[in-house]
Amino acid sequence: MPPFPILISKLSKVYATAKVKVVALQDVSLGFEEGVFAAVTGASGSGKSTLLNLIGGLDTPTSGTIEVRGKKISEMNREELALYRRSQVGMIFQSFNLIPGFSALENVALPLVFSGMAKRERGRQAGEVLAQVGLGARTAHRPSELSGGEQQRVAIARALVNRPRVLLADEPTGNLDSRTSREIVTLLAELNRDQGLTIIMVTHEESLVREFAGCSVRLSDGRVQAEEKWR
Amino acid sequence: MRFRDHIELSFANLWKRKLRTSLTAFGVTIGIGALVSMVSFGKGMQKNVTESFRSLDLFNSLTVFSEGFMASERFDPDQRPAEPVPSEAPGVVLDDAALEKIASLKGVETVFPEIRIPAVVRFKGKDEFRLVQVVPAAVASSRILRFSAGKGYASDEERSLIIGDSLLRQFGVREPPAALGQKIVISSISFDFSRFGPEDLTAALSGERLPFATEDTELTIVGVAESQAFAGPLPIQSDLFIPPGVSKQMRKLPFSNVWDIFRASEGRLGYSALNVRLSSPAFVEPIKKEITGMGFRVFALADQFKEIQRGFLIMNMVLAAVGMIAIVVASLGIVNTMVMSILERYSEIGIMKAVGAGDRDIRRIFFFESSVIGLIGGIFGFALGWAVSGIINRVVNYFLARQGVPYIPYFSFPVWLALGAIAFSVGVSLAAGVYPAMRAARVDPVRALRHD
Repeated sequence: MPPFPILISKLSKVYATAKVKVVALQDVSLGFEEGVFAAVTGASGSGKSTLLNLIGGLDTPTSGTIEVRGKKISEMNREELALYRRSQVGMIFQSFNLIPGFSALENVALPLVFSGMAKRERGRQAGEVLAQVGLGARTAHRPSELSGGEQQRVAIARALVNRPRVLLADEPTGNLDSRTSREIVTLLAELNRDQGLTIIMVTHEESLVREFAGCSVRLSDGRVQAEEKWR
Repeated sequence: MRFRDHIELSFANLWKRKLRTSLTAFGVTIGIGALVSMVSFGKGMQKNVTESFRSLDLFNSLTVFSEGFMASERFDPDQRPAEPVPSEAPGVVLDDAALEKIASLKGVETVFPEIRIPAVVRFKGKDEFRLVQVVPAAVASSRILRFSAGKGYASDEERSLIIGDSLLRQFGVREPPAALGQKIVISSISFDFSRFGPEDLTAALSGERLPFATEDTELTIVGVAESQAFAGPLPIQSDLFIPPGVSKQMRKLPFSNVWDIFRASEGRLGYSALNVRLSSPAFVEPIKKEITGMGFRVFALADQFKEIQRGFLIMNMVLAAVGMIAIVVASLGIVNTMVMSILERYSEIGIMKAVGAGDRDIRRIFFFESSVIGLIGGIFGFALGWAVSGIINRVVNYFLARQGVPYIPYFSFPVWLALGAIAFSVGVSLAAGVYPAMRAARVDPVRALRHD
């Protein structure tokens, strides 16, 4: 097992429009050990989400490399990236990003649709993961019929249904009250502890970071400002 | 992604936007409906002609004319010849000697002269003007005529006649069997100089008193023939047929059209044409050659059939092109609907990509949706085309039947048209889905998921 499952080297991302150039990340070099619960913090616009999108294969870097579990995702083409997103990483977001017309079960099963799994098997696996996040009884509900915390649990179940080794969370508690936020982060911490899932969480909430995460990276203006490790 | 998932997903997505889906599909329905009825009309006409050619054995038929006369004259006496008739053409007369000579050729089954007698037909107290055709008994009983009641006359001397059912209807007889055995009067016209003095000459020249007299011949109806829907250049084409024996006894004019008069003035009347039936289509070419060698003109229906087919091809293409306009408009509707759908489902596409959908998956999702619209539009479009042309067919036949025209199916719906229409609809919809699908596949998930 390599010591650094996620290696980021000299990573830069520049968003160029016709008039302006926005440097989102500049020469970021980082490493995340396997099985770590890492927090990424920083002010708005510091490049946190960009970093997460790049690790999640949703975006491609302007320069630099990202290596996840021995694979250079910064060199993958679009189809390879889709396969990577489907099988290697799970992502959750502040706004949950569930499909409104689908039931909880269908939302969770969605990634399996793209891997070509049969419907019955999809339902079985999605049901299992939903039960695991504590929503075994609410599989038929639409997102609009669920509370914010429940929706985020559905999103977590969806991120886990393909059994990835890495979970990327982009401000997962941003739309939740403090009690629910705590529940969600507790759930993430359990997954990290019980299944050895690597979790990288972008967040504002320093209190939760200290309590649950094992290390943190602070970004400022697209650069690494501070790295800390306490567990 | 599995095929079944694609199908389920596209139906679910389209169902979510029922009104828009049905309006778009309705556009396709109208387009396909128009195309289907256009093509089925073209095909229907073609089928009618081809089938009547087949069933009447016309590929075995030749028509012989004397040299210098256009084939078309016989079929349309009002038509002017394309070029002046060469009066100094070699004088081969189409007379009984020529008839015998042609009849003796190998492969010739029957030869009978083309004789049509202008006459007034009196039946049930009504008068109708018709050209009465003289047809030998053997030909009248062959399958060139189809009888709705009775049969052909037994001999060439029998004092009987065959009447067409459409003429019968004009006399008010709706049930053909009711006419069998009834007497009918044929009033023919002939020259009569018996009461024509020299003093009448000036009047005759100015058309006031002509040396004509009529003579009535009473005949018994033995058969009622079905009228041919697509008469065209058929060797047998009339509402009344009489045997040659009866014709010989009738007083009549020695010509049946204006061109006969021209020839009569040149002293070589003969027959205006001979109808030749061969034992097999294989004899068409050799016999044609031989008769041409005798100095006559030969017209083979088989040759004209090729021309007709070519004409139908062009007609079908023009009709299809008209139908295509509606399809093009409908496909623009599909493009519009799909592009709208992308804008609405922008974040959904982003989500799908984030959880691992490839460009190909997204493209296919949209291709499936547009082809489902095409499939629905195609099925309903075919149904619409079928229904509308069924109604048109009924209405047209209803009005034509009142004028004695027999029932004609104007539209034809072969299986390939149904399948082709649906396949075409799906194909056009797929083409219309190309741009939206490409655009959907290019959606940037980061932008799509950005929470504002």
